[in-house]
Amino acid sequence: MKPYLKSLLFLAVAGAFALPWLSPPVYFVSLLFVVFMYVVLAESWVLIGGFAGYLSFGHGAFLGIGAYTTALLMNHFHLSPLYVLVSALPAGAAAACVAAVIGYPALRLRGPYFALITLCFAFVMELAVKNLDFLGGPEGLWLKAMGIEVGLARGIFFEVMLVLMLVTVLVVRRVESSRFGAGLKAIKEDEEVAQTLCVDTPRVKLSAFILSAFFPGVAGGLYAYYLSYIHPETVFNIDISILIVLMALFGGGSSYVGPIVGAISLSLVNELLSAFLKAEYARVIYGLLFVVLILYLPDGVISFFRGRKSGAG
Amino acid sequence: MLKGIGLTKSFGGLRAVSSLDFEIRAGEIVGLIGPNGSGKTTLFNLISGFYRPDAGRLFFKGKEITGKPPYVIARLGIGRTFQIVRPLPDFTLIENVRIAVLYGRSGTRDMREATERAEEILQVSGLAEKRHRYPLNLALEDRKRLEIARALAIDPDLLLLDEVFAGLNEKEIEKAVTFTFEIKRRFNLTIFMVEHVMKAIMGTCDRIIVLHHGAKIAEGLPEEVARHPDVVSAYLGKGYVARL
Repeated sequence: MKPYLKSLLFLAVAGAFALPWLSPPVYFVSLLFVVFMYVVLAESWVLIGGFAGYLSFGHGAFLGIGAYTTALLMNHFHLSPLYVLVSALPAGAAAACVAAVIGYPALRLRGPYFALITLCFAFVMELAVKNLDFLGGPEGLWLKAMGIEVGLARGIFFEVMLVLMLVTVLVVRRVESSRFGAGLKAIKEDEEVAQTLCVDTPRVKLSAFILSAFFPGVAGGLYAYYLSYIHPETVFNIDISILIVLMALFGGGSSYVGPIVGAISLSLVNELLSAFLKAEYARVIYGLLFVVLILYLPDGVISFFRGRKSGAG
Repeated sequence: MLKGIGLTKSFGGLRAVSSLDFEIRAGEIVGLIGPNGSGKTTLFNLISGFYRPDAGRLFFKGKEITGKPPYVIARLGIGRTFQIVRPLPDFTLIENVRIAVLYGRSGTRDMREATERAEEILQVSGLAEKRHRYPLNLALEDRKRLEIARALAIDPDLLLLDEVFAGLNEKEIEKAVTFTFEIKRRFNLTIFMVEHVMKAIMGTCDRIIVLHHGAKIAEGLPEEVARHPDVVSAYLGKGYVARL
Protein backbone atom coordinates (compact mmCIF):
# COMPACT_ATOMS: atom_id res chain seq x y z
CA MET A 1 0.00 0.00 0.00
CA LYS A 2 1.28 3.45 -0.91
CA PRO A 3 2.31 5.65 2.06
CA TYR A 4 -0.18 8.44 1.33
CA LEU A 5 -3.01 5.87 1.15
CA LYS A 6 -1.86 4.47 4.45
CA SER A 7 -1.95 7.85 6.18
CA LEU A 8 -5.30 8.61 4.58
CA LEU A 9 -6.68 5.36 5.89
CA PHE A 10 -5.27 6.06 9.33
CA LEU A 11 -6.90 9.49 9.36
CA ALA A 12 -10.25 8.03 8.28
CA VAL A 13 -10.14 5.46 11.09
CA ALA A 14 -9.07 8.04 13.69
CA GLY A 15 -11.81 10.38 12.44
CA ALA A 16 -14.38 7.61 12.72
CA PHE A 17 -13.34 6.93 16.32
CA ALA A 18 -13.60 10.62 17.22
CA LEU A 19 -16.87 11.21 15.38
CA PRO A 20 -19.56 10.40 17.99
CA TRP A 21 -17.97 12.78 20.53
CA LEU A 22 -18.04 15.77 18.17
CA SER A 23 -21.85 16.11 18.48
CA PRO A 24 -22.66 15.19 14.89
CA PRO A 25 -26.24 14.77 13.62
CA VAL A 26 -27.82 11.64 15.13
CA TYR A 27 -28.91 10.48 11.69
CA PHE A 28 -25.33 10.47 10.51
CA VAL A 29 -24.08 8.35 13.41
CA SER A 30 -26.92 5.85 12.97
CA LEU A 31 -26.24 5.59 9.27
CA LEU A 32 -22.55 4.91 9.84
CA PHE A 33 -23.36 2.36 12.54
CA VAL A 34 -25.46 0.40 10.05
CA VAL A 35 -22.81 0.79 7.34
CA PHE A 36 -20.18 -0.65 9.70
CA MET A 37 -22.52 -3.52 10.47
CA TYR A 38 -22.97 -4.27 6.79
CA VAL A 39 -19.22 -4.21 6.26
CA VAL A 40 -18.95 -6.84 9.01
CA LEU A 41 -21.68 -8.93 7.37
CA ALA A 42 -20.39 -8.69 3.80
CA GLU A 43 -16.78 -9.16 4.87
CA SER A 44 -17.60 -12.34 6.79
CA TRP A 45 -19.71 -13.59 3.91
CA VAL A 46 -16.73 -13.34 1.58
CA LEU A 47 -14.93 -16.12 3.51
CA ILE A 48 -17.40 -18.74 2.34
CA GLY A 49 -19.15 -17.02 -0.57
CA GLY A 50 -16.25 -15.16 -2.15
CA PHE A 51 -13.18 -17.27 -1.41
CA ALA A 52 -14.73 -20.76 -1.45
CA GLY A 53 -17.48 -19.91 -3.94
CA TYR A 54 -20.27 -21.32 -1.77
CA LEU A 55 -22.94 -18.63 -2.11
CA SER A 56 -24.71 -18.47 1.22
CA PHE A 57 -28.07 -16.75 0.82
CA GLY A 58 -28.91 -17.15 4.48
CA HIS A 59 -26.18 -15.19 6.21
CA GLY A 60 -28.64 -12.68 7.63
CA ALA A 61 -29.90 -15.45 9.89
CA PHE A 62 -26.64 -15.36 11.84
CA LEU A 63 -27.25 -11.69 12.61
CA GLY A 64 -30.68 -12.66 13.93
CA ILE A 65 -29.31 -15.53 15.98
CA GLY A 66 -26.78 -13.18 17.55
CA ALA A 67 -29.45 -10.59 18.28
CA TYR A 68 -31.82 -13.04 19.95
CA THR A 69 -29.03 -14.74 21.89
CA THR A 70 -28.02 -11.42 23.39
CA ALA A 71 -31.61 -10.43 24.14
CA LEU A 72 -32.25 -13.72 25.93
CA LEU A 73 -29.01 -13.54 27.91
CA MET A 74 -29.73 -9.98 28.99
CA ASN A 75 -33.35 -10.53 29.94
CA HIS A 76 -33.00 -13.96 31.54
CA PHE A 77 -29.96 -13.39 33.63
CA HIS A 78 -30.81 -9.75 34.41
CA LEU A 79 -27.32 -8.73 33.51
CA SER A 80 -26.12 -5.19 33.77
CA PRO A 81 -26.76 -3.54 30.40
CA LEU A 82 -23.10 -2.66 29.95
CA TYR A 83 -22.46 -6.39 29.96
CA VAL A 84 -23.80 -6.37 26.40
CA LEU A 85 -20.29 -5.57 25.25
CA VAL A 86 -19.19 -8.96 26.56
CA SER A 87 -22.40 -10.84 25.84
CA ALA A 88 -21.97 -10.16 22.14
CA LEU A 89 -19.24 -12.81 22.22
CA PRO A 90 -21.59 -15.63 23.28
CA ALA A 91 -23.90 -14.31 20.56
CA GLY A 92 -21.12 -14.90 18.06
CA ALA A 93 -20.46 -18.33 19.55
CA ALA A 94 -24.15 -19.24 19.23
CA ALA A 95 -24.19 -18.22 15.58
CA ALA A 96 -21.01 -20.23 15.01
CA CYS A 97 -22.56 -23.33 16.63
CA VAL A 98 -25.66 -23.07 14.47
CA ALA A 99 -23.39 -22.66 11.44
CA ALA A 100 -21.58 -25.88 12.37
CA VAL A 101 -24.86 -27.80 12.61
CA ILE A 102 -26.30 -26.35 9.38
CA GLY A 103 -23.02 -26.33 7.48
CA TYR A 104 -22.12 -29.96 8.09
CA PRO A 105 -24.87 -31.33 5.83
CA ALA A 106 -25.41 -28.23 3.68
CA LEU A 107 -21.79 -27.93 2.54
CA ARG A 108 -22.05 -31.33 0.84
CA LEU A 109 -24.29 -29.62 -1.69
CA ARG A 110 -22.77 -27.49 -4.39
CA GLY A 111 -23.70 -24.52 -6.54
CA PRO A 112 -27.38 -23.56 -6.62
CA TYR A 113 -28.34 -26.29 -4.15
CA PHE A 114 -26.19 -24.82 -1.42
CA ALA A 115 -27.57 -21.35 -2.19
CA LEU A 116 -31.12 -22.69 -1.96
CA ILE A 117 -30.65 -24.59 1.27
CA THR A 118 -29.11 -21.58 3.00
CA LEU A 119 -31.96 -19.41 1.75
CA CYS A 120 -34.44 -21.95 3.16
CA PHE A 121 -32.53 -21.92 6.43
CA ALA A 122 -32.99 -18.15 6.70
CA PHE A 123 -36.74 -18.47 5.95
CA VAL A 124 -37.19 -21.23 8.49
CA MET A 125 -35.35 -19.25 11.17
CA GLU A 126 -37.62 -16.25 10.66
CA LEU A 127 -40.74 -18.41 10.79
CA ALA A 128 -39.55 -20.35 13.81
CA VAL A 129 -38.76 -17.24 15.83
CA LYS A 130 -42.11 -15.71 14.90
CA ASN A 131 -43.86 -18.77 16.30
CA LEU A 132 -41.87 -19.45 19.45
CA ASP A 133 -43.40 -17.78 22.48
CA PHE A 134 -40.30 -17.73 24.63
CA LEU A 135 -38.63 -15.68 21.90
CA GLY A 136 -41.45 -13.16 21.97
CA GLY A 137 -43.11 -14.65 18.88
CA PRO A 138 -44.58 -12.10 16.49
CA GLU A 139 -44.40 -9.41 19.20
CA GLY A 140 -40.64 -9.33 19.28
CA LEU A 141 -38.51 -8.72 22.36
CA TRP A 142 -37.64 -5.61 24.35
CA LEU A 143 -34.23 -5.28 25.85
CA LYS A 144 -33.67 -3.57 29.16
CA ALA A 145 -32.70 0.07 28.88
CA MET A 146 -29.07 0.94 29.27
CA GLY A 147 -29.52 3.15 32.29
CA ILE A 148 -27.13 5.66 30.84
CA GLU A 149 -27.67 8.73 28.76
CA VAL A 150 -28.84 7.94 25.19
CA GLY A 151 -26.12 9.90 23.40
CA LEU A 152 -23.39 8.22 25.43
CA ALA A 153 -24.88 4.77 24.79
CA ARG A 154 -25.05 5.48 21.07
CA GLY A 155 -21.43 6.62 21.11
CA ILE A 156 -20.28 3.49 22.92
CA PHE A 157 -22.06 1.16 20.49
CA PHE A 158 -20.72 3.10 17.56
CA GLU A 159 -17.17 2.61 18.81
CA VAL A 160 -17.67 -1.09 19.54
CA MET A 161 -19.14 -1.73 16.07
CA LEU A 162 -16.24 0.16 14.56
CA VAL A 163 -13.79 -2.07 16.42
CA LEU A 164 -15.70 -5.18 15.36
CA MET A 165 -15.54 -4.00 11.76
CA LEU A 166 -11.79 -3.43 11.92
CA VAL A 167 -11.22 -6.82 13.53
CA THR A 168 -13.35 -8.56 10.90
CA VAL A 169 -11.55 -6.84 8.05
CA LEU A 170 -8.14 -7.69 9.51
CA VAL A 171 -9.09 -11.33 10.07
CA VAL A 172 -10.41 -11.74 6.52
CA ARG A 173 -7.33 -9.97 5.17
CA ARG A 174 -5.13 -12.37 7.10
CA VAL A 175 -7.10 -15.38 5.87
CA GLU A 176 -6.82 -14.21 2.29
CA SER A 177 -3.04 -14.51 2.21
CA SER A 178 -2.84 -17.66 4.35
CA ARG A 179 -2.79 -21.39 3.75
CA PHE A 180 -6.45 -21.51 4.83
CA GLY A 181 -7.37 -18.86 2.24
CA ALA A 182 -5.45 -20.69 -0.48
CA GLY A 183 -7.38 -23.85 0.36
CA LEU A 184 -10.70 -22.00 0.12
CA LYS A 185 -9.80 -20.49 -3.24
CA ALA A 186 -8.68 -23.88 -4.55
CA ILE A 187 -12.10 -25.25 -3.57
CA LYS A 188 -13.74 -22.50 -5.59
CA GLU A 189 -11.56 -23.24 -8.60
CA ASP A 190 -11.99 -27.03 -8.66
CA GLU A 191 -13.03 -28.92 -5.55
CA GLU A 192 -12.08 -32.38 -6.88
CA VAL A 193 -8.61 -31.27 -7.86
CA ALA A 194 -8.22 -29.61 -4.46
CA GLN A 195 -8.92 -33.01 -2.88
CA THR A 196 -6.23 -34.73 -4.93
CA LEU A 197 -3.85 -32.04 -3.65
CA CYS A 198 -4.58 -33.13 -0.05
CA VAL A 199 -7.00 -30.31 0.77
CA ASP A 200 -9.42 -31.70 3.36
CA THR A 201 -12.29 -29.88 1.68
CA PRO A 202 -15.12 -30.73 4.12
CA ARG A 203 -13.12 -29.43 7.08
CA VAL A 204 -11.82 -26.35 5.31
CA LYS A 205 -15.29 -25.37 4.09
CA LEU A 206 -16.90 -25.95 7.47
CA SER A 207 -14.24 -23.88 9.26
CA ALA A 208 -14.83 -21.03 6.84
CA PHE A 209 -18.59 -21.25 7.28
CA ILE A 210 -18.30 -21.24 11.08
CA LEU A 211 -15.91 -18.29 11.08
CA SER A 212 -18.14 -16.44 8.62
CA ALA A 213 -21.09 -16.88 11.01
CA PHE A 214 -19.23 -15.78 14.11
CA PHE A 215 -18.76 -12.09 13.23
CA PRO A 216 -22.38 -11.58 12.06
CA GLY A 217 -23.46 -13.17 15.36
CA VAL A 218 -21.43 -10.66 17.37
CA ALA A 219 -22.75 -7.84 15.18
CA GLY A 220 -26.29 -9.08 15.85
CA GLY A 221 -25.66 -8.88 19.58
CA LEU A 222 -24.60 -5.25 19.30
CA TYR A 223 -27.40 -4.43 16.89
CA ALA A 224 -30.04 -5.86 19.24
CA TYR A 225 -29.01 -3.56 22.03
CA TYR A 226 -28.59 -0.65 19.72
CA LEU A 227 -32.20 -1.07 18.54
CA SER A 228 -33.32 -2.02 22.09
CA TYR A 229 -36.31 -3.75 20.49
CA ILE A 230 -35.90 -6.71 18.15
CA HIS A 231 -38.47 -8.33 15.94
CA PRO A 232 -38.17 -11.29 13.53
CA GLU A 233 -38.83 -8.94 10.66
CA THR A 234 -36.05 -6.57 11.58
CA VAL A 235 -33.22 -8.98 12.40
CA PHE A 236 -34.31 -12.14 10.52
CA ASN A 237 -35.49 -10.35 7.41
CA ILE A 238 -34.54 -12.25 4.25
CA ASP A 239 -33.72 -8.90 2.61
CA ILE A 240 -30.66 -8.66 4.87
CA SER A 241 -29.36 -11.99 3.60
CA ILE A 242 -29.77 -10.93 0.01
CA LEU A 243 -28.30 -7.49 0.61
CA ILE A 244 -25.16 -9.09 2.09
CA VAL A 245 -24.61 -11.10 -1.09
CA LEU A 246 -25.27 -8.07 -3.28
CA MET A 247 -22.84 -5.89 -1.34
CA ALA A 248 -20.06 -8.46 -1.36
CA LEU A 249 -20.43 -9.22 -5.06
CA PHE A 250 -20.92 -5.58 -5.95
CA GLY A 251 -17.55 -4.75 -4.43
CA GLY A 252 -15.93 -7.99 -5.52
CA GLY A 253 -15.87 -11.32 -3.69
CA SER A 254 -12.30 -12.37 -4.39
CA SER A 255 -10.62 -9.98 -1.96
CA TYR A 256 -11.18 -8.50 1.48
CA VAL A 257 -11.35 -5.04 -0.13
CA GLY A 258 -14.46 -5.84 -2.17
CA PRO A 259 -17.03 -6.08 0.62
CA ILE A 260 -15.79 -2.83 2.21
CA VAL A 261 -16.25 -1.01 -1.08
CA GLY A 262 -19.55 -2.80 -1.74
CA ALA A 263 -21.11 -2.27 1.69
CA ILE A 264 -20.15 1.40 1.90
CA SER A 265 -21.06 2.34 -1.66
CA LEU A 266 -24.35 0.45 -1.76
CA SER A 267 -25.45 1.87 1.61
CA LEU A 268 -24.64 5.40 0.50
CA VAL A 269 -26.22 4.99 -2.94
CA ASN A 270 -29.32 3.65 -1.27
CA GLU A 271 -29.46 6.58 1.15
CA LEU A 272 -28.85 9.19 -1.54
CA LEU A 273 -31.42 7.71 -3.88
CA SER A 274 -34.05 7.61 -1.16
CA ALA A 275 -33.20 11.17 -0.11
CA PHE A 276 -33.67 12.64 -3.57
CA LEU A 277 -36.21 10.32 -5.18
CA LYS A 278 -39.42 8.64 -4.21
CA ALA A 279 -38.73 5.30 -2.53
CA GLU A 280 -40.22 3.29 -5.41
CA TYR A 281 -38.00 4.93 -8.02
CA ALA A 282 -35.02 4.58 -5.76
CA ARG A 283 -35.58 0.83 -5.60
CA VAL A 284 -35.83 0.49 -9.37
CA ILE A 285 -32.66 2.47 -10.01
CA TYR A 286 -30.88 0.50 -7.31
CA GLY A 287 -31.89 -2.72 -9.01
CA LEU A 288 -30.88 -1.52 -12.47
CA LEU A 289 -27.51 -0.39 -11.20
CA PHE A 290 -26.90 -3.85 -9.92
CA VAL A 291 -27.89 -5.57 -13.15
CA VAL A 292 -25.53 -3.34 -15.13
CA LEU A 293 -22.69 -4.08 -12.74
CA ILE A 294 -23.13 -7.84 -12.81
CA LEU A 295 -23.20 -7.72 -16.61
CA TYR A 296 -20.14 -5.55 -17.10
CA LEU A 297 -18.04 -6.09 -13.99
CA PRO A 298 -18.84 -9.62 -12.83
CA ASP A 299 -15.81 -9.61 -10.54
CA GLY A 300 -17.04 -6.51 -8.73
CA VAL A 301 -16.13 -2.84 -8.69
CA ILE A 302 -12.60 -3.51 -7.43
CA SER A 303 -11.73 -5.49 -10.57
CA PHE A 304 -12.13 -2.22 -12.47
CA PHE A 305 -9.15 -0.79 -10.61
CA ARG A 306 -7.02 -3.91 -10.74
CA GLY A 307 -7.42 -5.10 -14.29
CA ARG A 308 -8.19 -8.71 -15.06
CA LYS A 309 -5.73 -11.33 -13.90
CA SER A 310 -6.23 -14.23 -16.24
CA GLY A 311 -6.04 -13.43 -19.91
CA ALA A 312 -7.94 -15.62 -22.35
CA GLY A 313 -6.30 -18.78 -23.76
CA MET B 1 2.96 -51.09 -2.42
CA LEU B 2 -0.50 -50.91 -3.99
CA LYS B 3 -2.72 -53.92 -4.15
CA GLY B 4 -6.24 -54.39 -5.47
CA ILE B 5 -8.29 -57.49 -4.81
CA GLY B 6 -11.48 -58.29 -6.74
CA LEU B 7 -12.17 -54.66 -7.62
CA THR B 8 -15.51 -54.15 -9.31
CA LYS B 9 -17.26 -50.98 -10.40
CA SER B 10 -20.41 -50.76 -12.52
CA PHE B 11 -22.20 -47.81 -14.03
CA GLY B 12 -25.80 -48.83 -14.65
CA GLY B 13 -25.54 -52.10 -16.56
CA LEU B 14 -21.94 -51.53 -17.61
CA ARG B 15 -19.16 -53.22 -15.70
CA ALA B 16 -16.37 -50.72 -16.10
CA VAL B 17 -14.00 -52.68 -13.86
CA SER B 18 -14.72 -56.29 -13.15
CA SER B 19 -13.16 -58.42 -10.34
CA LEU B 20 -9.73 -57.03 -10.99
CA ASP B 21 -6.67 -58.19 -9.05
CA PHE B 22 -3.43 -56.29 -9.45
CA GLU B 23 -0.33 -55.28 -7.58
CA ILE B 24 2.21 -52.48 -7.98
CA ARG B 25 5.52 -53.03 -6.21
CA ALA B 26 7.70 -50.28 -4.79
CA GLY B 27 10.09 -48.73 -7.30
CA GLU B 28 8.34 -50.04 -10.40
CA ILE B 29 7.01 -48.21 -13.42
CA VAL B 30 3.88 -50.10 -14.41
CA GLY B 31 1.90 -49.32 -17.54
CA LEU B 32 -1.85 -49.76 -17.84
CA ILE B 33 -3.09 -50.15 -21.38
CA GLY B 34 -6.25 -51.25 -23.11
CA PRO B 35 -8.63 -50.11 -25.83
CA ASN B 36 -10.89 -47.12 -25.25
CA GLY B 37 -13.53 -47.79 -22.64
CA SER B 38 -11.64 -50.70 -21.13
CA GLY B 39 -11.78 -49.22 -17.62
CA LYS B 40 -8.35 -47.63 -17.22
CA THR B 41 -9.49 -44.23 -15.99
CA THR B 42 -12.18 -45.87 -13.87
CA LEU B 43 -9.46 -47.89 -12.15
CA PHE B 44 -7.50 -44.67 -11.47
CA ASN B 45 -10.62 -43.06 -10.07
CA LEU B 46 -11.12 -46.06 -7.79
CA ILE B 47 -7.52 -45.93 -6.55
CA SER B 48 -7.57 -42.17 -5.94
CA GLY B 49 -10.89 -42.33 -4.12
CA PHE B 50 -13.19 -40.57 -6.58
CA TYR B 51 -15.24 -43.74 -6.98
CA ARG B 52 -16.10 -46.21 -4.29
CA PRO B 53 -15.83 -49.81 -5.57
CA ASP B 54 -19.01 -51.92 -5.63
CA ALA B 55 -16.90 -54.86 -4.48
CA GLY B 56 -13.28 -55.61 -3.73
CA ARG B 57 -10.61 -53.98 -1.61
CA LEU B 58 -7.62 -51.73 -2.08
CA PHE B 59 -4.47 -51.68 0.04
CA PHE B 60 -1.70 -49.11 0.00
CA LYS B 61 1.50 -49.84 1.92
CA GLY B 62 -0.41 -52.57 3.73
CA LYS B 63 -3.18 -50.25 4.86
CA GLU B 64 -6.73 -50.58 3.58
CA ILE B 65 -7.84 -47.53 1.58
CA THR B 66 -11.10 -48.85 0.13
CA GLY B 67 -13.75 -46.11 0.12
CA LYS B 68 -11.51 -43.47 1.69
CA PRO B 69 -12.04 -39.90 0.41
CA PRO B 70 -9.54 -38.52 -2.15
CA TYR B 71 -7.75 -36.17 0.28
CA VAL B 72 -7.07 -39.00 2.73
CA ILE B 73 -5.65 -41.17 -0.06
CA ALA B 74 -3.57 -38.24 -1.32
CA ARG B 75 -2.21 -37.67 2.19
CA LEU B 76 -1.21 -41.31 2.43
CA GLY B 77 1.01 -40.69 -0.58
CA ILE B 78 -0.85 -41.31 -3.83
CA GLY B 79 -0.62 -38.40 -6.27
CA ARG B 80 -2.49 -38.28 -9.55
CA THR B 81 -2.87 -36.32 -12.76
CA PHE B 82 -5.99 -35.97 -14.87
CA GLN B 83 -6.28 -37.17 -18.44
CA ILE B 84 -7.85 -33.88 -19.45
CA VAL B 85 -5.62 -31.41 -17.61
CA ARG B 86 -7.32 -29.58 -14.77
CA PRO B 87 -5.18 -26.65 -13.63
CA LEU B 88 -6.72 -24.16 -11.20
CA PRO B 89 -7.27 -21.42 -13.79
CA ASP B 90 -7.16 -18.33 -11.55
CA PHE B 91 -3.99 -19.55 -9.80
CA THR B 92 -0.59 -18.77 -11.31
CA LEU B 93 1.69 -21.75 -11.90
CA ILE B 94 3.44 -21.19 -8.62
CA GLU B 95 0.14 -20.90 -6.77
CA ASN B 96 -1.06 -24.10 -8.42
CA VAL B 97 1.97 -25.96 -7.09
CA ARG B 98 2.14 -24.14 -3.74
CA ILE B 99 -1.36 -25.20 -2.70
CA ALA B 100 -0.21 -28.82 -3.00
CA VAL B 101 2.91 -28.08 -0.93
CA LEU B 102 0.86 -26.30 1.77
CA TYR B 103 -1.64 -29.11 2.19
CA GLY B 104 0.58 -31.99 1.15
CA ARG B 105 2.88 -34.30 3.06
CA SER B 106 5.94 -32.10 3.32
CA GLY B 107 4.52 -30.54 6.49
CA THR B 108 5.23 -26.99 5.32
CA ARG B 109 2.57 -24.61 6.57
CA ASP B 110 4.57 -21.45 6.11
CA MET B 111 3.79 -19.45 2.96
CA ARG B 112 7.33 -18.39 2.20
CA GLU B 113 8.82 -21.85 2.69
CA ALA B 114 6.06 -23.33 0.55
CA THR B 115 6.77 -20.80 -2.20
CA GLU B 116 10.43 -21.80 -2.23
CA ARG B 117 9.56 -25.48 -2.37
CA ALA B 118 7.09 -24.82 -5.20
CA GLU B 119 9.77 -22.93 -7.09
CA GLU B 120 12.13 -25.89 -6.82
CA ILE B 121 9.51 -28.24 -8.19
CA LEU B 122 8.72 -25.89 -11.07
CA GLN B 123 12.45 -25.71 -11.76
CA VAL B 124 12.68 -29.49 -12.03
CA SER B 125 9.62 -29.48 -14.27
CA GLY B 126 11.12 -26.89 -16.59
CA LEU B 127 8.45 -24.31 -15.81
CA ALA B 128 10.48 -21.96 -13.63
CA GLU B 129 10.45 -18.99 -16.03
CA LYS B 130 6.70 -19.24 -16.46
CA ARG B 131 5.91 -19.43 -12.76
CA HIS B 132 3.95 -16.17 -12.62
CA ARG B 133 1.84 -16.95 -15.66
CA TYR B 134 -1.66 -18.41 -15.67
CA PRO B 135 -2.16 -22.00 -16.87
CA LEU B 136 -4.63 -21.10 -19.61
CA ASN B 137 -1.86 -19.18 -21.37
CA LEU B 138 0.35 -22.27 -21.64
CA ALA B 139 0.85 -24.77 -24.44
CA LEU B 140 -0.50 -28.29 -23.84
CA GLU B 141 2.98 -29.71 -23.18
CA ASP B 142 3.49 -27.22 -20.35
CA ARG B 143 0.03 -27.78 -18.94
CA LYS B 144 0.81 -31.50 -18.75
CA ARG B 145 4.05 -30.70 -16.96
CA LEU B 146 2.14 -28.50 -14.54
CA GLU B 147 -0.25 -31.37 -13.89
CA ILE B 148 2.74 -33.56 -12.95
CA ALA B 149 4.51 -30.81 -10.99
CA ARG B 150 1.41 -30.30 -8.87
CA ALA B 151 1.06 -34.00 -8.16
CA LEU B 152 4.76 -34.11 -7.19
CA ALA B 153 4.24 -31.22 -4.81
CA ILE B 154 2.17 -33.30 -2.40
CA ASP B 155 5.34 -35.42 -2.02
CA PRO B 156 3.80 -38.73 -3.11
CA ASP B 157 5.26 -42.24 -2.96
CA LEU B 158 3.08 -43.49 -5.79
CA LEU B 159 2.24 -41.36 -8.81
CA LEU B 160 -0.70 -42.15 -11.07
CA LEU B 161 -0.16 -40.66 -14.53
CA ASP B 162 -3.25 -40.59 -16.74
CA GLU B 163 -2.21 -40.25 -20.39
CA VAL B 164 0.38 -37.54 -19.87
CA PHE B 165 1.91 -38.27 -23.27
CA ALA B 166 -1.33 -38.02 -25.24
CA GLY B 167 -1.49 -35.13 -27.67
CA LEU B 168 2.26 -34.52 -27.63
CA ASN B 169 4.44 -34.70 -30.75
CA GLU B 170 7.36 -37.09 -31.23
CA LYS B 171 9.98 -34.76 -29.82
CA GLU B 172 7.84 -33.76 -26.84
CA ILE B 173 7.24 -37.44 -26.07
CA GLU B 174 10.97 -38.11 -25.98
CA LYS B 175 11.44 -35.23 -23.55
CA ALA B 176 8.50 -36.45 -21.47
CA VAL B 177 9.96 -39.95 -21.23
CA THR B 178 13.27 -38.54 -19.98
CA PHE B 179 11.32 -36.36 -17.57
CA THR B 180 9.44 -39.39 -16.23
CA PHE B 181 12.69 -41.21 -15.44
CA GLU B 182 14.15 -38.07 -13.94
CA ILE B 183 11.29 -37.46 -11.48
CA LYS B 184 11.15 -41.14 -10.60
CA ARG B 185 14.77 -41.05 -9.53
CA ARG B 186 14.73 -37.64 -7.91
CA PHE B 187 11.53 -38.09 -5.93
CA ASN B 188 12.01 -41.80 -5.31
CA LEU B 189 8.69 -42.70 -6.88
CA THR B 190 6.71 -45.69 -7.92
CA ILE B 191 4.75 -44.92 -11.09
CA PHE B 192 1.52 -46.38 -12.42
CA MET B 193 0.63 -44.94 -15.80
CA VAL B 194 -2.19 -45.15 -18.28
CA GLU B 195 -0.89 -44.63 -21.76
CA HIS B 196 -1.89 -45.02 -25.40
CA VAL B 197 1.37 -43.96 -26.96
CA MET B 198 3.03 -47.35 -27.47
CA LYS B 199 6.50 -45.95 -27.96
CA ALA B 200 6.36 -44.23 -24.58
CA ILE B 201 5.02 -47.34 -22.88
CA MET B 202 7.59 -49.70 -24.33
CA GLY B 203 10.43 -47.34 -23.45
CA THR B 204 9.47 -46.62 -19.85
CA CYS B 205 7.59 -49.46 -18.22
CA ASP B 206 9.03 -52.38 -16.29
CA ARG B 207 5.74 -54.19 -16.53
CA ILE B 208 2.43 -53.76 -18.32
CA ILE B 209 -1.13 -54.63 -17.33
CA VAL B 210 -3.69 -54.91 -20.12
CA LEU B 211 -7.39 -54.26 -19.50
CA HIS B 212 -10.24 -55.20 -21.79
CA HIS B 213 -13.89 -54.67 -20.87
CA GLY B 214 -12.80 -54.00 -17.31
CA ALA B 215 -10.92 -57.29 -16.86
CA LYS B 216 -7.21 -58.04 -16.93
CA ILE B 217 -6.37 -59.99 -20.06
CA ALA B 218 -2.59 -59.92 -19.86
CA GLU B 219 0.30 -58.86 -17.67
CA GLY B 220 4.05 -58.98 -18.08
CA LEU B 221 7.13 -57.47 -19.68
CA PRO B 222 6.42 -54.96 -22.46
CA GLU B 223 7.64 -57.25 -25.27
CA GLU B 224 5.68 -60.23 -23.97
CA VAL B 225 2.49 -58.25 -23.67
CA ALA B 226 2.83 -56.75 -27.13
CA ARG B 227 2.92 -60.26 -28.65
CA HIS B 228 0.22 -61.74 -26.44
CA PRO B 229 -2.58 -63.09 -28.68
CA ASP B 230 -5.39 -61.79 -26.43
CA VAL B 231 -3.90 -58.31 -26.48
CA VAL B 232 -3.51 -58.26 -30.25
CA SER B 233 -7.05 -59.51 -30.60
CA ALA B 234 -8.42 -56.87 -28.21
CA TYR B 235 -6.74 -54.07 -30.10
CA LEU B 236 -6.90 -55.24 -33.70
CA GLY B 237 -9.52 -57.98 -33.85
CA LYS B 238 -9.22 -61.78 -33.89
CA GLY B 239 -8.16 -61.94 -37.55
CA TYR B 240 -4.78 -60.46 -36.76
CA VAL B 241 -3.81 -63.06 -34.19
CA ALA B 242 -3.25 -65.74 -36.87
CA ARG B 243 -0.62 -63.59 -38.56
CA LEU B 244 1.71 -63.56 -35.56
